Amino acid sequence: MIILTETAPHMAVWGKWLGDALGTNAAGASAGNAIFGIFLSLLVYLIGQWLFKIGKGFFLFQPLFVGMVLGIFILFLLAKAFGTDTATFYKSAYLPGGNIIFWFLNPATIAFAIPLYRRNDVVKKFWLEIVLSLIVGLFVSLFVIYFAAKLIGLDKVGIASMLPQAATTAIAMPIATAIGGNSAVTAMACILNAVIIYALGDWLVKFFRINNDPVGAGLGLGTAGHTVGSAKAVQLGSIQGSMASIAVVVISIVVDIVVPSFAKLMGLM
Amino acid sequence: MAANDKVTKAETAKEEPASPILIQMGIFAAILFVSSLISPLFPASFPVPTPVIGLVLLYVLLATHIVKLRNVEKFGDFMISLIAFLFVPSGIQLAASLDILKAQGVQIVIVVLIATIVLLVVVAYTTAGFIWIRKNVFHRDVNVDD
Repeated sequence: MIILTETAPHMAVWGKWLGDALGTNAAGASAGNAIFGIFLSLLVYLIGQWLFKIGKGFFLFQPLFVGMVLGIFILFLLAKAFGTDTATFYKSAYLPGGNIIFWFLNPATIAFAIPLYRRNDVVKKFWLEIVLSLIVGLFVSLFVIYFAAKLIGLDKVGIASMLPQAATTAIAMPIATAIGGNSAVTAMACILNAVIIYALGDWLVKFFRINNDPVGAGLGLGTAGHTVGSAKAVQLGSIQGSMASIAVVVISIVVDIVVPSFAKLMGLM
Repeated sequence: MAANDKVTKAETAKEEPASPILIQMGIFAAILFVSSLISPLFPASFPVPTPVIGLVLLYVLLATHIVKLRNVEKFGDFMISLIAFLFVPSGIQLAASLDILKAQGVQIVIVVLIATIVLLVVVAYTTAGFIWIRKNVFHRDVNVDD
């Protein structure tokens, strides 16, 4: 940072040029330059993939997690260099491009109907058990999460952000906003779920003897670890794998029904 | 002969080529558009986001064979293969809320750790309970065919 302040006069010229390119200057901002946001997202994710490969699958090198941390760190450094705060720089330089990528979560999320339909024989046979288990399981979990969050000392916004994390990110975020949470914190929770299940999944399955019931193991892993959880479940067996990919989809719909009711019950909204 | 032709036609229907990618995108866009019209009809206290409605709609259309797998699976599988990358902006948006992380970041991470374990264990055991009921109370078969 010291180096940057020493070269401040040069930064003015560079800053104007870069600012135009990134869309942080008035002119650039009105043009809504999305290129930087798209480039940065791809760059940090590809670095994550590369790290994951050379790190032989070290759990903190999951591409999405690396992408999140590295992306925020780069925005933080650039904001310092431009003499503004991270939030402002994020909004003017990253958000236009980020929003374009974010939009594609809409078709990607509804595309999960396809793997669900491919397992339709299992869904038809076990639909009652799947739906009941997910509703009851989620409801019980919400109580534990709520009181754990309260005990640890999260404020109301923090608690509300923790409740929808079982759903896939694109569905969890609007629900978090609706019940008074911070959707960015919820998105981080969803990413961390996957990191934790990737790191501890095998150990947790053994320790809690979860694989005694293969259907339960599948639904549990799909609920707790999203798509990473269903990848873990496939390693346990094909029953676990199909159940987990069903759970990833069905739990999102269950969260949409159960979480707002729970939030109302607890007086959060 | 004519009847035979019909059977062959029905059989080969499965092997019909995938729809062109623009048509597949068109189907996704149409489902999203209808979903975005339905979503605001729900009250603010019971929000149903557009992707939830779209997910259910596409599943119903597939289950009723109005939309066939070959009409949507090429584009759909491609989108699913990108899903981790598509979450990058959702992760990076935390840059706008770094003050929350500074204030209660450690607590949030601890709660997420607890939540992940609780969701895994509680859902797994609840399911084991319901499967036990299915087997021992209703005597229904619990095998999952591959």
